[in-house]
Amino acid sequence: MKSRITDDLNSWIRREVTYTAPDKLGRAAIRYFALALDDDNPVYRDEEFAKSTVHEGIIAPPTLVCDTNQFINQKLDENGYIGHDWKLPLSDGRFIRGGNDYEFIQPVRPDDRVTVIWKIVDIYERETRKLGGLIFVVSEARYFNQRNELLAINRETNIYSP
Amino acid sequence: MNVPKVKYFADVVVGEMLPTTEIVVTLTSFIVYAAATWDFHRYHYDDAFVKRIGLPAPFMDGQMIGALLARELMNWGGPDAFVRRLRYRQRAMVYVDDMIVVSGKVTGVTAEDGRTHAQCLLSVMKPNGTLVVRDALATVELGRKGGVGVTASARSCR
Repeated sequence: MKSRITDDLNSWIRREVTYTAPDKLGRAAIRYFALALDDDNPVYRDEEFAKSTVHEGIIAPPTLVCDTNQFINQKLDENGYIGHDWKLPLSDGRFIRGGNDYEFIQPVRPDDRVTVIWKIVDIYERETRKLGGLIFVVSEARYFNQRNELLAINRETNIYSP
Repeated sequence: MNVPKVKYFADVVVGEMLPTTEIVVTLTSFIVYAAATWDFHRYHYDDAFVKRIGLPAPFMDGQMIGALLARELMNWGGPDAFVRRLRYRQRAMVYVDDMIVVSGKVTGVTAEDGRTHAQCLLSVMKPNGTLVVRDALATVELGRKGGVGVTASARSCR
């Protein structure tokens, strides 16, 4: 079977793109994320309580920094999407989320202005009996605050079916 | 407010179960999460759109599953806890009005350089037995304020 991995697709490995948030994360974004998860943990909303903890102030729920598209200063596409998209030359077929591997280096705080650097670290193909040749795209996002301190790393695998 | 209790190394028993949580995901919860993450893709709320692309109903953002796993870990670990690592693979889609059950257990604890961590495995399952996530791997940093005893050492099980 002919591989769907072309030289053009291979050339995407190691490509990077950087987004810097136009503004601080903000307490409201943290409170809203907690609300969306029905999470009443006071470290996300009660400054006085949060100061009494090892965190010494309000922090964001761990995965917020890896999932929000708040940093991306662009318009919605035709399907309402605003987030990072490599726009790989793989337009046919379905996109499946393969999984995430998060490392949280330090908590993200309301005053943090986040920069994220996305990089493609690998592209490979696996033959499956059910779906045929699947292309796996492994990306890594590194999130930094305004002091260039690493906050989190998100390694994400996305799968593209024929 | 019900003030949660800090969990220290000595409080954690290897093999202990994390609280099991049942969550019914609704269109409202998808929409609120979509807005909270600035992810307005029609996948998550537009029934006619997803049916046109061959799916039965709007579906959960895959990272919302990670957010729910992190919620369970942070609440289990108490206010000084912080999730350091979370790795999972989604094996099945979660659609609007599905119920999911999040469960987990502590598989090990470690103490090093004045910091203590619990290792956990978590699963997400539908009541019909569909495994959405199997054995998500997590590391949670535990309370530090005087919580690391001199006898602290590593313990583990599977």
